[in-house]
Amino acid sequence: MNKSEVIEVIKKNIIDNLEDLEENDIDPAKSMKDYGANSLDIIEVVSCSMRELKIKIPRAELAEIATIDQLADKFMDHVEN
Amino acid sequence: MKDALKFSLADFFFNDNPDVLDPPSDFDEWMDDPSIKAGFSFFEQQLLSAPRAETEILSNLDGKVRKVINLTSYNYLGLSSHPEVIEAAIEGVKKYGLGASGAPLLSGTFDLHVKFAKMLADFKKKEDCLLYSSGLGGNLGALQGILRKGDLLVMDEKCHKSLVDGGTLSGAKMQFFEHNNIEHFASILEKFKGKRTLVAIEGVYSMDGDLAKLPEIVEVCDQYDNIEIYIDEAHSTLMFGENGRGVAEHFNLENKIGITFGTLSKSFGGVGGFICSNEKIIRYLKGYSSPYNFSCASSPVIIAGLIKALEVATRDSSLRDKMWENTRYFKKNLESLKLDLGGTESQVIPIIIGSSGELLFEMAGEAQKRGLFLQPVDFPAVPAHSRRFRISVSSQLTKEEIDEACNIIEDVIAKKLNA
Repeated sequence: MNKSEVIEVIKKNIIDNLEDLEENDIDPAKSMKDYGANSLDIIEVVSCSMRELKIKIPRAELAEIATIDQLADKFMDHVEN
Repeated sequence: MKDALKFSLADFFFNDNPDVLDPPSDFDEWMDDPSIKAGFSFFEQQLLSAPRAETEILSNLDGKVRKVINLTSYNYLGLSSHPEVIEAAIEGVKKYGLGASGAPLLSGTFDLHVKFAKMLADFKKKEDCLLYSSGLGGNLGALQGILRKGDLLVMDEKCHKSLVDGGTLSGAKMQFFEHNNIEHFASILEKFKGKRTLVAIEGVYSMDGDLAKLPEIVEVCDQYDNIEIYIDEAHSTLMFGENGRGVAEHFNLENKIGITFGTLSKSFGGVGGFICSNEKIIRYLKGYSSPYNFSCASSPVIIAGLIKALEVATRDSSLRDKMWENTRYFKKNLESLKLDLGGTESQVIPIIIGSSGELLFEMAGEAQKRGLFLQPVDFPAVPAHSRRFRISVSSQLTKEEIDEACNIIEDVIAKKLNA
């Protein structure tokens, strides 16, 4: 799986969890908070995405991640290619 | 399990096993890992006597019964074992029996409940009061009962789980502001202005011991219509303010608070929760707050004890004064050990260790074996980079006990951190 596919998975889960957003609206260089996500929404998006990608990263390691792109990079370290 | 220590309870929420009664398979593997078992052994250790400043525990670490200086129980004013409170509870059980045997609306309301609710409303200078049989139920039930889909709940990111769950259950839109960051708070109110809004904050934040920036929060709220403030005074009732009414009294801003919440399990020494507000919303909540109207009323034994606890705590300020004297003395000694106490302003004093869970649990084990009941607080309850111990200072502690506690903390924690 390549990075753009990982970003697609994250985007899909953002759309599923936040109101009034479409895929084209989402810029990976931004934070989910920029799209109105609260901390519970972010946990949901991250957890659902990891579940879909069949990876497991300790939550404690995700605290410093600021943008969707950085989250995708972190996921890429664990996704099997 | 590989890298077991890197994982936490935050990592096993989803379960893909077909049988719902079968926990996630990697959760079982994680829990059975020796390093995780060692950490979890600090939980659910049995107290063998009252949660006084000196008590006895059955240690999970080595199976030994151990006398300990207790820095963990929330018995801030020692009321759970105060002789007059115990006597009142004994009289209560003789007259009323053990349980209420009914929900408040049907048969669970006793004369004691009505008396105590009136006492609490008068104490908090509000029109009326609603009693809950649990503290969590109070916060959850108040938010779930008041807010609806389309409303806005703005809360500090460090608010208790009971407030978060109440907000979730209500269906309201939830927005969290960075802890005590007034600029961020103001930006949320501006973004969503016009919505029916409740702002939820805590008087004393339970993991850090710092206070809400209430004057600044009030100033921002005053710029908008239809914004009410809900303050959780779980760790501040009976301790802050000239009369012990809490942080809102401390800042002389009680008239700006729409709803005030308190627990009955901390300074009061019993169990349960309560909210005080205007008469109309309390009457409304009796019909719509599920933990109130679908739960058995609090045990009359507990209420009998709590009535006496409120009397004892408010007839003069001696218990509160002693708790503050102990807090100042304890804090001064800890500061001399060059420990990171965060931004505490209360009787809740964190000792921040840092990012290593292993170090935290190693210190906790040594402290306990030296006779200190000082529980570790790990991620996700606190951020991963600031794992900590949390001291609850009680009025019951003697100077000698505080000195001995500080000696142990110096040997077990400070010397390692400062090495």
